[in-house]
Amino acid sequence: MKSNIKIIVLAVMVQLTIAATAFSYDRIIILYGAVSPIIKELSLSDKVVGVSRSDTVFTQTTKLGSHLRPNVELIIALEPDIIIAGSKRTFNEEMVESVKVKVIYFDPQTLDEVLEKITELGELFRQEERAKELVISCKEKLKGVKPLSKKPEVIYEISAEPLRIAGKKSIVTSIIEAAGGENVITIEKKHVVLSPEVILKAEPDYYFYQTGPMNKNPSPVKERDQFVTLKSEIVNVDQYEFARAGLNVFDAVIKMNRIFGDNPQFRGENNE
Amino acid sequence: MKKSNWFIILFFMTLALIVATVFAVSIGAVKLPLFNMTTVEKNIFFNVRLPRVLLAGLVGAALVMSGALFQYVMKNPLADSFTTGTSASSAMGAVIAIMLGLEKLIPLFALAGGLTGLTAVYKISSVRNRIQPVTMLLAGIVISTFASATISFMKYLSDDAVSSIIFWLMGGFSSASISKVIILAIAIIGSYLSIRSDFLSLDIICFDDMTAEASGVNVARLRRKIFFIASLLTAFSVGYAGIIGFAGLVIPHIIRLLRMVKAAELLPMSLIGGGLFMITNDLIARTILSEGQELPVGILTSFIGGIFFLTLLIKRKKELFYFD
Repeated sequence: MKSNIKIIVLAVMVQLTIAATAFSYDRIIILYGAVSPIIKELSLSDKVVGVSRSDTVFTQTTKLGSHLRPNVELIIALEPDIIIAGSKRTFNEEMVESVKVKVIYFDPQTLDEVLEKITELGELFRQEERAKELVISCKEKLKGVKPLSKKPEVIYEISAEPLRIAGKKSIVTSIIEAAGGENVITIEKKHVVLSPEVILKAEPDYYFYQTGPMNKNPSPVKERDQFVTLKSEIVNVDQYEFARAGLNVFDAVIKMNRIFGDNPQFRGENNE
Repeated sequence: MKKSNWFIILFFMTLALIVATVFAVSIGAVKLPLFNMTTVEKNIFFNVRLPRVLLAGLVGAALVMSGALFQYVMKNPLADSFTTGTSASSAMGAVIAIMLGLEKLIPLFALAGGLTGLTAVYKISSVRNRIQPVTMLLAGIVISTFASATISFMKYLSDDAVSSIIFWLMGGFSSASISKVIILAIAIIGSYLSIRSDFLSLDIICFDDMTAEASGVNVARLRRKIFFIASLLTAFSVGYAGIIGFAGLVIPHIIRLLRMVKAAELLPMSLIGGGLFMITNDLIARTILSEGQELPVGILTSFIGGIFFLTLLIKRKKELFYFD
């Protein structure tokens, strides 16, 4: 009798597993813009029914408000099968309960985690092959990183007012490391409100500052009273290229590595 | 209070301010050997730390003096830059600048916002060119609420910039510079000199308006002048350091508890007390966390000031409301 029950339970579990894996997600909502290029590369564009206001890939798709505060009514009205959100902070448990569909979060902090997420998305949407190809192409890009003679020390400014710097948990740190550099700030946070004294004392080789929604029109670093004496190389970059954890990060690595390599101080022996 | 006692307290307060300033410039995220500094350390000292300590002291002085002045004008012990709507309208101006990406112009926008708020409150509360203190307080609360709602709306619209706005609103001195120090010092000195001759009149308007008028004080003119100066000081402070709560409310009351109730005693002491309070708070804000991380100073001032004020309020509530 007992063995019969075991068999039945096992059979039910197998059935449920098969049913779950066989389910196809035909109506996708994306609430974090960095995911959209991946979804496009996975050939799932036609399944995207709604995106956040600032999405730059699916511009013609229904907008569902800001990624920080999406409109739950609009989301429910679109009858999605799955929602891809940035983090639990922006799409919390209560919102998940109210939409009553599967919600997954996309918040990688390193390049490896980005690749893992691509694979996960591929499996979820049964596009394993496309995901595999995408992961391979990303890894191929990284092969373009040229060796440097030594590691440049880097500071990456998230916002000038107030002064916030990328910490260890920021995707930017992973980009810097993959490009051959080293983030001076090792604090275990994504963004750190930091004293300018620390930056002046550290004398980093590079001071990257981003321009984008988080740092609109920042004044040039050396024009700021505190940093007039800073000797670092100053580089202005696009926030969307560097501080968003998506496919863009692999191009950002190459770009940063090229910047380092252009400096004779860091250029490797075979790096011409 | 006896003049000699006042001088003794003034001496010790000034001494405390000097000691706090020396401490503040000696301690920070980076250890600086003050008498044997390298070029980098000199840069840190002269371009970052010294301007920051000076700006903190000046913002503290400006906020506390403006708080004391607002309390005179409103005849209300709870009046300060918050209740008059000046802080919130200055912050609204600053947030507009942040949202438009015009960060260099934050002080200017804050000033414009503060003056707009001031004008609105002034117009609403004026009857036949006379300001009604109670109406002014109510108008201040309305303007403050309106400005706060506008700030919230802009936060809602700003997406990724929202964290910059929130951090900025919490207050801090990380973008201090010598030019800001000079401008604020001029504003404070100018304001102080322009009201020096009105100290006695300020004491007299603590009585009812008829008594003040009978004593030869032009109450309407005085209120207009003081209101403008206090708002100007607040707008500069908010523009340079964000919203820093409680200083303008707590410090004047603490000074009054030391029996300095006359304007000639209270206002100079407010400048010193405000400077001391803010320099100490900023020192804590920039050293309490490890590895050069900073805490927004507005959090600390509200926290420390709130606890301190509450303790005093409970212990000495009868003496505190000297207006009654």
